[in-house]
Amino acid sequence: MITQTHRRVFSCLFILLGCCATRTVAQDLAAFEERFTQFTLDNGMTFLVLERHAAPVVTLLTFADVGSVDEQRGRTGLAHLFEHMAFKGTQTVGTRDYRAEKKAMARADAIFEAMRTERLKLQPDPKRLDEWAEEFKTVQAEAQALLVHDEFQQVFKQAGGANQNAGTSVDYTLYFVSLPSNKIELWMNLESDRFLNPVLREFYREKDVVMEERRLRVESDPVGRLLEEFLGTAYLAHPYGTEIVGHMSDIENLSRPEAEAFFRTYYGPANLTVAIVGDVQPKNVQRLAKRYFGRLKGGPKPPPVRTVEPPQRGERSVTLQDPAQPFVLLGYHKPDVHHPDSAVLDAVTDIMGLGRTSRLYDRLVKKDRVAAYASAFQGYPGDKYPGLFMFYAVPAQGQKHEASMAAMEAEIERLKKEPVSEAELTKAKTRARASLIRSLASNSGLAQELAYYQVITGDWRNLFTRLERIDAVTINDIQRVANAYFTIQNRTVGLMETSNAL
Amino acid sequence: MKRFIVVIVLLATVVSQAASIKHYSKLRYPPLGDIDIPDVQRLTLPNGMQLYLLEDHELPLVRFSTLIRTGSIHEPADKIGLASITGQVMRTGGTTDRAGDTLDALLESMAASVEVSIGLNSGSASASALTENADTILEVLAEILMKPAFPEDKLMLAKMQLRSSIARRNDAPGGIADREFDKLIYGPDSVFARHPEFATLANISRSDLAAFHRRFFVPNNVMLAVWGDFRTPAMVEKIKTVFADWPRSDEAVPPAPAVAYDFPKTVNLINRNDVNQSNIVMGHIGGLRSDPDYCPLIIANRILGSSFTGRLFNNVRSRQGLAYSVYGVYTANYNYPGVFYVGCQTKSESTVKAIEAMRQEVATMTREKVSAEELALAKDSFLNSFVFNVDTVGKVISRMMTYEYYGYPADFLQTLKQGIEKVTAADVLRVAQKHFQPDQFQILVVGRSTDFDRPLSVLGNVKEIDITIPPPPQPQKK
Repeated sequence: MITQTHRRVFSCLFILLGCCATRTVAQDLAAFEERFTQFTLDNGMTFLVLERHAAPVVTLLTFADVGSVDEQRGRTGLAHLFEHMAFKGTQTVGTRDYRAEKKAMARADAIFEAMRTERLKLQPDPKRLDEWAEEFKTVQAEAQALLVHDEFQQVFKQAGGANQNAGTSVDYTLYFVSLPSNKIELWMNLESDRFLNPVLREFYREKDVVMEERRLRVESDPVGRLLEEFLGTAYLAHPYGTEIVGHMSDIENLSRPEAEAFFRTYYGPANLTVAIVGDVQPKNVQRLAKRYFGRLKGGPKPPPVRTVEPPQRGERSVTLQDPAQPFVLLGYHKPDVHHPDSAVLDAVTDIMGLGRTSRLYDRLVKKDRVAAYASAFQGYPGDKYPGLFMFYAVPAQGQKHEASMAAMEAEIERLKKEPVSEAELTKAKTRARASLIRSLASNSGLAQELAYYQVITGDWRNLFTRLERIDAVTINDIQRVANAYFTIQNRTVGLMETSNAL
Repeated sequence: MKRFIVVIVLLATVVSQAASIKHYSKLRYPPLGDIDIPDVQRLTLPNGMQLYLLEDHELPLVRFSTLIRTGSIHEPADKIGLASITGQVMRTGGTTDRAGDTLDALLESMAASVEVSIGLNSGSASASALTENADTILEVLAEILMKPAFPEDKLMLAKMQLRSSIARRNDAPGGIADREFDKLIYGPDSVFARHPEFATLANISRSDLAAFHRRFFVPNNVMLAVWGDFRTPAMVEKIKTVFADWPRSDEAVPPAPAVAYDFPKTVNLINRNDVNQSNIVMGHIGGLRSDPDYCPLIIANRILGSSFTGRLFNNVRSRQGLAYSVYGVYTANYNYPGVFYVGCQTKSESTVKAIEAMRQEVATMTREKVSAEELALAKDSFLNSFVFNVDTVGKVISRMMTYEYYGYPADFLQTLKQGIEKVTAADVLRVAQKHFQPDQFQILVVGRSTDFDRPLSVLGNVKEIDITIPPPPQPQKK
């Protein structure tokens, strides 16, 4: 019930962070920890709970430590496809008759495998393929008649859920929703069921949806096309070189049993971390978590990614001739987020790429006028493993890529040869702190940050202690790191050149 | 006997385990906690500026947000882009007291921001800073609003950036579809659909910017909201001080022009060879939020177009696999009619199939009452998620200002809630029949027509739209 009152509610949940220069990260963290609870179930599933009682709402987020980086060659797109499948329901949600459905799905799987085997022959028989295609259509229609579309999402919406969605990155997969805070048991019930008894119904139809998504994001979008080519060029061996959505032919060949095996391998409870931020009581959360998620059975640890990208031996480059306007990308291999240089590269990102006073914007946009926009960022496509430090420019109307490229190269050389100013480094540190404070204003932002830091860096407290590492960065560090990583032989260039019209 | 007892115990265990995990439909919830919507302090300064203040001490942040009565609807037709550029250069060009680059350095060193933008129907200037810098950025915000310098070099920069976006406006098919569809609905010269060209930018001079600013940026056209970590009495005093020398002007700001629409049926193609997916948009004019049918239309929108749970999603995406993104929404704006958009992106080979599938969903809404379950889902989803309308201070204040700006009653949201509670399936059918005209759609496809499943001409006479960007006028100004 919502009431209008004349009493102002002050939620002094957080002792004011950063309001005095003398406050330390340790003090900020201590204040935060008063509202924080962490527990792990017997099966290894970890829960992070942060109380925030300003409004009776809560964000609940499941973070699975699996992404497209974990896929095998030839089966790319599986992690993201599974994320789609995780909305299709369970043995009790999303079906009119699971037993009949199961039979129909098994028949569909068998026909798909037969079709795939035939299709992948050097000389496939079109007649057999057509016959199977007809049978496949029939069986799929039978299975579809037995299901209830989108029941999983409907239940949440009806209960007042907001912003329900999921996302797959190279490194991890997220599932989240915000609910009125009196309904967390609904989330416990359905979310645990979805990882206990998922049913990958409408699998082959959902592949069609994913193929449309690939066409939308990659194939029919100029920058999407360039980025796919760029990633494949920058990486020789490591799975970071493949787009998250996967290769079209791989998606076409994925089968439901393969997706189920992927789920069993990577979605065990020890590989799941839940972050809950909002108007909750930790004891209640723990009680419900034990009851619902305690049902998930532990299993063997998923296999780690084995391939290590070897050092780049020489400059790599890809140029697309495209109807679209020019675009310039530069990428340099860099270590993963655990490496001490990561904090230094955060400072470099700020100095080179953040805001109107960044070096790239100042030079390419304000002074030289060769680009409409220019910036830098690190951790592309991910940072659990060694990723790329990126520079990019959007050349100005009438300009080709050469001027932007030359200006970016000049700024990179300058970073290597001359120490940055104290003012620039201080600005980077101030902005890192302010950015953390701003991120504390949102339940959903916090849930994602807490889960990310816990799983990817090993400790959610790194959300705060990261500031200490950035504060410790020196001018010498920046120069050292620039010289270590921003070399020609470590560089991949991606260019869009405008060819003749459509 | 022992075995019997063991069996009983086992059964009891099984039963108790099963009993503790209920089906979700059997769950019972405690009542939702109260939301105390705090009082926003309201006052009007002698110069007419309206203030909204709300303290929130959770974090050491202060945010300012202004809404200014202006917009690109007021720019002359030969200077399209004037409003947008004025907004940009107000921020980047500095003031009569401090240069733009000086302000950039000051703000970014404090991890603060001040941004100005002028859109179709309003202007906004927002600022954000840590508590200790609140006074400083209020001064910067006031200076920028009252005395922008509009230096020539920053005008040139803004023009370069806007020219670059003109040059890029045909790169991505989604952008093309949205832009061109609005022109089909409102007319290519309508203030609601027109867009800058190189020629219109070339006509804009710094005196135009200064004149635009003088006309609209007066205190009685400005609503200023402040929320965050401050004390109200001190903040009010500070605001009064920094804006003290800003004279008001009683030149009226014209309202948004009316829109005439006579439901033409058209089929339009923009052919592209660099895509393997069509971008489809179809529909007709939408409406206003003040329409008495607004509440049933909200429900109709949810049933038709909600992601994950709407009919378009269920049938076009989940059931048929024709699209990743499919949508349908009758948009209702505050002061000018919106657009009824229905669309998706689908592979070239299923273009006409997708068009027919989407149109069919809209047609069904006009022929049959929605089911009791769909109605309940739509109403419940609105009512049960109502708390998310008011769960942050920023949302509360921003809604208050928006309603006041457009002349809507302060309790409009509560009225909507009461209206939604009363909507019936008969209401939904009635408004669908009145407002959805699937046989009078305008259809636009951006795609590779040689690969379409059927030629677009099966839908009607096809007009090919030429989106070639008119070249810059000669000689090219910098």
